[in-house]
Amino acid sequence: MEESPLHPFELHNYIPINVGGLDVSINKAVIMMWVVVVLVTALMLMAGHARQLVPGKLQNIAEWLVEFIRGIILDTMGQDGMRFFPLIGTLFLFIFFCNVLGLIPGTYTVTSQLVVTAAFAVFVYGLSLVLGFFLHGARFLGILIPPGTPVWMLPLMVPIELVSQLARPISLAVRLFANMTAGHTVLAVLFGMVITMPLIPLPLPVRFGLLILLVVLLSARRRIIAFAGTWGLVGLILLGLALATVIWIRWIPFVFTVVINAFEIFIAFMQAYIFTTLTCVYLGDAITPHGHSEHEPAH
Amino acid sequence: MPPSQDPFYAGLGQAVRIGTELLAALIVGGGLGWIVDTYLLNSTPWSLVVGLSLGGAAGVRNAYRAAQRWQDSSGNSGTQG
Repeated sequence: MEESPLHPFELHNYIPINVGGLDVSINKAVIMMWVVVVLVTALMLMAGHARQLVPGKLQNIAEWLVEFIRGIILDTMGQDGMRFFPLIGTLFLFIFFCNVLGLIPGTYTVTSQLVVTAAFAVFVYGLSLVLGFFLHGARFLGILIPPGTPVWMLPLMVPIELVSQLARPISLAVRLFANMTAGHTVLAVLFGMVITMPLIPLPLPVRFGLLILLVVLLSARRRIIAFAGTWGLVGLILLGLALATVIWIRWIPFVFTVVINAFEIFIAFMQAYIFTTLTCVYLGDAITPHGHSEHEPAH
Repeated sequence: MPPSQDPFYAGLGQAVRIGTELLAALIVGGGLGWIVDTYLLNSTPWSLVVGLSLGGAAGVRNAYRAAQRWQDSSGNSGTQG
């Protein structure tokens, strides 16, 4: 029964495939990615199918998402960046749905694998490099020199800027991976406590009697509050919690599991948002190396 | 209003970013130093030390840049304060 809290992160190979020593087996993560791809595609196709002037529920969600992604791009890259809308939108939707679907018990969180997030990060950073050199040629190396640096500072500033550039893909990858892994580990530990936490030993009839007492207390709450006012309410709550703890102490980790799960949905959204924003910022830096992202304020 | 224009979400996004920014630069700086030490110059531990300092500086610079960008955009849209 006792499971390691890291158990949810293990990959189980369903169909082992080996190509020249390279392990390309179909495992949980691969299947989950397929599910996400199919789901996102279906959602957006169905939502875009109707194109009504007064949007239905699905169209409303899709329009909200598109508007949201458009807002990110305009905030960080300006009108120029709308060329990248398909890429950015796909990235955001894929990461967001991977994060959120992974919260459903029994599924797998693809973004809790460093290799997945690193692949995204390296792709995004590589794209920004290719784009920068394509648009600006060798002048793109000027991003290593912050504007206004005196010449004698260059031997110090260029290595610092080089490291800070190289840190970009790593911070992208590690942030997403660490947030997802940490959140799911906490959830797994809490949920493990719901199953394994030792109950206060009581014979079954006593437990049942206490439960009836709790129900009676709760159903008489109006009368108690009318009789004793605010203190009656406080006493009722404390007594109710104490009774619940004696009867079934596991309600504490259970409530925490639910609360943290809600919080994790927020984190899932937040991390997808941050990843997309930074993608835009890096691509924007490639388009205008010392451009609006640092000096002119964004719109 | 889409949340990307909501100062609360934008601010929170920036705030969460900065911690990892520091860490990632340290990892890169230290890693580069270590590689130079072990495989190129055999100069343990000096380039690791130099790399870590460069990484720390780069991390602070990245964090500073992120904060500056945030200040710029929030000052412009008039949501400051």
